[in-house]
Amino acid sequence: MRARELAVQVPTVTPHDAVTTAVRVMAQGHLPGLIVVDARERPTAVLPGTQVLLLTVPRAHREGQALARTIDEPHADAFWKELDNLSVGDCLPHSLSRPAIVREDATLLEIAALMGRLRSPLVAVVDERGELVGGITLDRVLGRLTADGPPA
Amino acid sequence: MSAVAALAIFVGGFYYIATEKVDKVKAVLVAAGGMTVLGLTPGAEVFFSEHEGIDWNVIFLLLGMMIIVGVIKQTGLFDFLAIWAAKRSRGHPYRLMVMLMAITAVASPLLDNVTIVMLVAPVTVVVCNRLDIPAQPYLIAEILASNIGGAATLIGDPPNIIIGSRAGLTFNDFLVHMTPIVAIIFAAFVLLTKVLFRRSFRYNPDRVAEVMTLQERRAITDPQLLIRCLVVLAGVVAAFALHSVLHLEPSLVALVGAGVMLLVSRADTYDTLREVEWPTLVFFMGLFVMVAGLLHTGVIETIGEYVIAAVGNHYLGAATALLFGSAVLGAFFDNIPYAATMAPIVEGLVAQVSDPTAAQAMWWAFALGADFGGNGTAVAASANVVAIGIAARMGHPISFWQFTRYGIVVTLLSTAMAWVYVWLRYFT
Repeated sequence: MRARELAVQVPTVTPHDAVTTAVRVMAQGHLPGLIVVDARERPTAVLPGTQVLLLTVPRAHREGQALARTIDEPHADAFWKELDNLSVGDCLPHSLSRPAIVREDATLLEIAALMGRLRSPLVAVVDERGELVGGITLDRVLGRLTADGPPA
Repeated sequence: MSAVAALAIFVGGFYYIATEKVDKVKAVLVAAGGMTVLGLTPGAEVFFSEHEGIDWNVIFLLLGMMIIVGVIKQTGLFDFLAIWAAKRSRGHPYRLMVMLMAITAVASPLLDNVTIVMLVAPVTVVVCNRLDIPAQPYLIAEILASNIGGAATLIGDPPNIIIGSRAGLTFNDFLVHMTPIVAIIFAAFVLLTKVLFRRSFRYNPDRVAEVMTLQERRAITDPQLLIRCLVVLAGVVAAFALHSVLHLEPSLVALVGAGVMLLVSRADTYDTLREVEWPTLVFFMGLFVMVAGLLHTGVIETIGEYVIAAVGNHYLGAATALLFGSAVLGAFFDNIPYAATMAPIVEGLVAQVSDPTAAQAMWWAFALGADFGGNGTAVAASANVVAIGIAARMGHPISFWQFTRYGIVVTLLSTAMAWVYVWLRYFT
């Protein structure tokens, strides 16, 4: 089993899309994360769902919990309205770790190891030019494992 | 020939550090690698010579204090203090600025400047957003206050750690010689801010209620943890001060303090160690190897001889040149590599000064100049760079010139006051 056989088409966003758009894309597509691509359809970031959620959190509250605790309930409930027109690129972490990307010929073991190591329930699959072929979700991998795996 | 090679490698490395054209950690590692591979500094000296290799006293003092800070930042103390101050100011801009500067300046002598601004900047932005006022003046004032406050002690500012280790100056020496003038300069700076930022002050009485809804008490979830941390920090400071009794190197005090802090706070060791700025420590190590190359090949000695010949018996002139020269150079380059490079040159100069009071004055003039030079431009100190980065990410960008036009004024004022102090205290 190779990555190209597991990959499915997934909606993507670009750094110029609004964060609110990115959240909607993920929520409506029931995706475990989002792939951010550049103008040439090359993945620049693969964000697990929790990291997409973090994009909506104002910068001041990302580092620690103490400041977030001081915010009163009415303001806390409306925190993501502070986003205004911020784009995905504006909100991406300052130093992104290596994105969860595999080549088309990656094996099931490689994909599972990468997902586990990077704690990413979504992996981007790219061709030899680095352009996006599709995405592999955790569900797809688990489904494959349980279909083929050892008996319980 | 080896001296020329060492100087070329050093200047090349320094160029990339100063211009930040490449990551500065990579720049020092390449330069340090060049020094050792070409045999410009012997391997044994790099690791085992305190004065001609890596100064482990500096490295482990920084490491210990970073671990201590890593635990203290989990307590929520600074969020509590900043919001408490904002509420007490009732939205009056100058009052708010003074209180935030006071928090920063009081904490800076004991904790790393970069960490202080990292802790205070986010809560400042939240408060300013609530008051619907620009956060930039407040952030700039905090950075300037942290650099002034940090000058007060051995552990407050990295140049002081380097100078203290090289000169054999204790925590108490810094308290006696640096703290008084720093307190006076801070008081003058507080008055100056009223004029400096007068056009930025905006009072929005209708927004004060927004600040009053912030719940500062919720920032501290574990008061016991906070008390334990403060007790350990007080113990560490006391141990620094009792150097003449305990005879413990500051690095050992910091490391023991870090261990005790981890023990009594029950903080997760792995999480806390992730808070340590490892790249900064590697940067310092590489820097020491770069300077070791200059020392081993006699470059520093040659410069030192030239300086000594130029100074002659004009010690006040030498102190003046050190103070203002360090402020100017420290303003345009990161003051940490500047201090690391200059410290052995000053050591050579001091060795030639027959009058012990004048000899000590050289070190204090150097420390005051390097520390206050850190306020000169947006890139002069790590705290400036880090805080300006945070401000940009939080939607309150501070341009190079926006910072620098305030920084230059404060550097001029503080350096001039420091010169008067050095003159009055050591040369009259």
